[in-house]
Amino acid sequence: MSDSSTAGTKMTTPLLVVDGISLRFGGVQAITDMSFDVNRGELFAVIGPNGAGKTSIFNCINAVYKPQQGSIRLDGTEIVGMHPRETAEMGVARTFQNLGLFGNLDIVDNLMLGRHHLMKTGFLSGAVWWGRAKHEEISNRATVEKIIDLLELGNFRRKPVGMLPYGIQKRIELGRCLAMEPRLLLLDEPVAGMNLEETEDMARYILEVRSSLDVTMIMVEHDMHVVMDLADRVMAVDFGIRLATGTPEEVQQDQRVIDAYLGKAS
Amino acid sequence: MARQSPYLITNYSKDLRLFGSSWRRAGLLLLAALFIVLPLQLDDFWLSLLATVGIYAIGAIGLNLLTGYAGQVSLGHAFFFGVGAYCAAWFGGGSAVGTRDGVLFLDLPMFVWLPLAGLIGAALGALVGPVALRLSGQYLAIVSIGLLFVGDWILLGWVSATNGSQGLRVTAEPAIGPVNFSDLNIFGSAFSPEQGEFWFVWGLVAVVALMAKNIVRSRPGRALQAIRDRDVAAEIIGVNPARAKIGVFALSSGIAAVAGGMYGMIVVRTVTPETFTGFGGLVTSITFIAIIIVGGISTISGAIVGSLVVVTLRQVTSRFVDVLPFLKQTPNDDGLMLVGQFNLIVFGLLIIIFLLAEPLGLVALWRRVTTYFKAWPFSY
Repeated sequence: MSDSSTAGTKMTTPLLVVDGISLRFGGVQAITDMSFDVNRGELFAVIGPNGAGKTSIFNCINAVYKPQQGSIRLDGTEIVGMHPRETAEMGVARTFQNLGLFGNLDIVDNLMLGRHHLMKTGFLSGAVWWGRAKHEEISNRATVEKIIDLLELGNFRRKPVGMLPYGIQKRIELGRCLAMEPRLLLLDEPVAGMNLEETEDMARYILEVRSSLDVTMIMVEHDMHVVMDLADRVMAVDFGIRLATGTPEEVQQDQRVIDAYLGKAS
Repeated sequence: MARQSPYLITNYSKDLRLFGSSWRRAGLLLLAALFIVLPLQLDDFWLSLLATVGIYAIGAIGLNLLTGYAGQVSLGHAFFFGVGAYCAAWFGGGSAVGTRDGVLFLDLPMFVWLPLAGLIGAALGALVGPVALRLSGQYLAIVSIGLLFVGDWILLGWVSATNGSQGLRVTAEPAIGPVNFSDLNIFGSAFSPEQGEFWFVWGLVAVVALMAKNIVRSRPGRALQAIRDRDVAAEIIGVNPARAKIGVFALSSGIAAVAGGMYGMIVVRTVTPETFTGFGGLVTSITFIAIIIVGGISTISGAIVGSLVVVTLRQVTSRFVDVLPFLKQTPNDDGLMLVGQFNLIVFGLLIIIFLLAEPLGLVALWRRVTTYFKAWPFSY
């Protein structure tokens, strides 16, 4: 480990640096001067009441929204001003609060679509099939099947995902993100609407993904048990403003966070 | 060593085979046998009908890629069909109907002009494609009707090339090198034009269907379906919507133009604007839509099955117009309505019935039946 001082600093510098971003929609201030870092391999949670701007933060990180001010750097590369698909190529993957699956396609195809940016077949080589298209299908299928194994989705492999239960669909979406070989995984309410058993399943898969794949995660979640149990650090936001950042215990004790959730004692 | 079960799939290459099961291979064999035997058994009326069915099937495969797989509703398909038909006259050989001179015709061999027609159709489709980046659903459908009327204006106005409403005669022959399918002669036995054209058309149907199937089961086709199902999510996972949409417009228009070229050469042999543009073009476009809805939206085989039903129905009503007392061939005959009007009503009814009862078409019905018998006697 002595030969790589640069690699050493790379390991200690944060993967994602969000520096003073502000996002407005007309007169509505969704995010105000927000800054935070996410370290490599960390599970970073964002909490806050409804409308606090949590999903807007995600939409800025994968370039769906463009903040009017500030910068977002992934490994030193500026993300603000990119196309969403360029962030996908850089290794930012996300799940959606209300699912973003392709309902008529089966699990294999949904996960293969996660590998879209890693494949090259175009219309012509696709039409020919023999050669690049078939070769790519087979080699990427192997990776997809590993993810299907990891998330225990094998039983539903060839079912249209729109017909599967909600909890399974959430898991498929996580799988599609993993198929993208992400460096940064954005989980938007991964256990929203789930019962206790499904929630525990999902928490287990998130932990399993953490331990078996080297991926940094940011999670937006309302379920405080999940957040406090899984997250390394928590950031609380309200009205687009950062209230506090710290370990789950620190944030739980923070007076501003308590006020935001429970109202101020007057 | 124990013999391996034929149902056990042990590698991905096996899993990706189109004709993986023995049932499917048997079906393929049956189709191949029909392909060879039918022209030797059927009379020329049915053979030319089946050739027309095949040509419409090719066009419908193109529309199904666009509308079924990519979710872009277009009523302008007839325009690209027409582009191909005019290309048949311009590049494959033709003459102006009537007395007009000076229309330029080339006598290129088919293996040059038919792909050329496809490329021209694809180029025009790629020009239209960007519209779909801003519009979708019914808005795109309405704009695409505009294409039919712009086309009408061009074909009627550009008289020096199109001979206006009188149209062009197509003299191109379906010949590949020394093999002319309209005048087929194998080992001393001569075949009628209908027999040769059947083999040519359905050979091409097989090629186009295979290529389309390959596209939809590989990366570009999955991107189309992703955009259809959820365009925002598709872009976030790295699909380029502009490339996919423009690509599928070019592809579907190119296929339509190839089908149109064959239509001009084999079916009508005189191309006039009224089949492809304006209101007549709208009827042709709706015929294509009826085909994919009846056959099965987002399936390649659905385009073929749908064409078999819809086109056969259309041709048969005009053939048996004398037997059906309420139909008339020309406006001056006795009868309640024209054959064309009757056909439109039938297509409309078919579209409505299928959308209500079996939105995924005959192919879905077939799948349901086979699934039932696979699990028989259990109901699930």
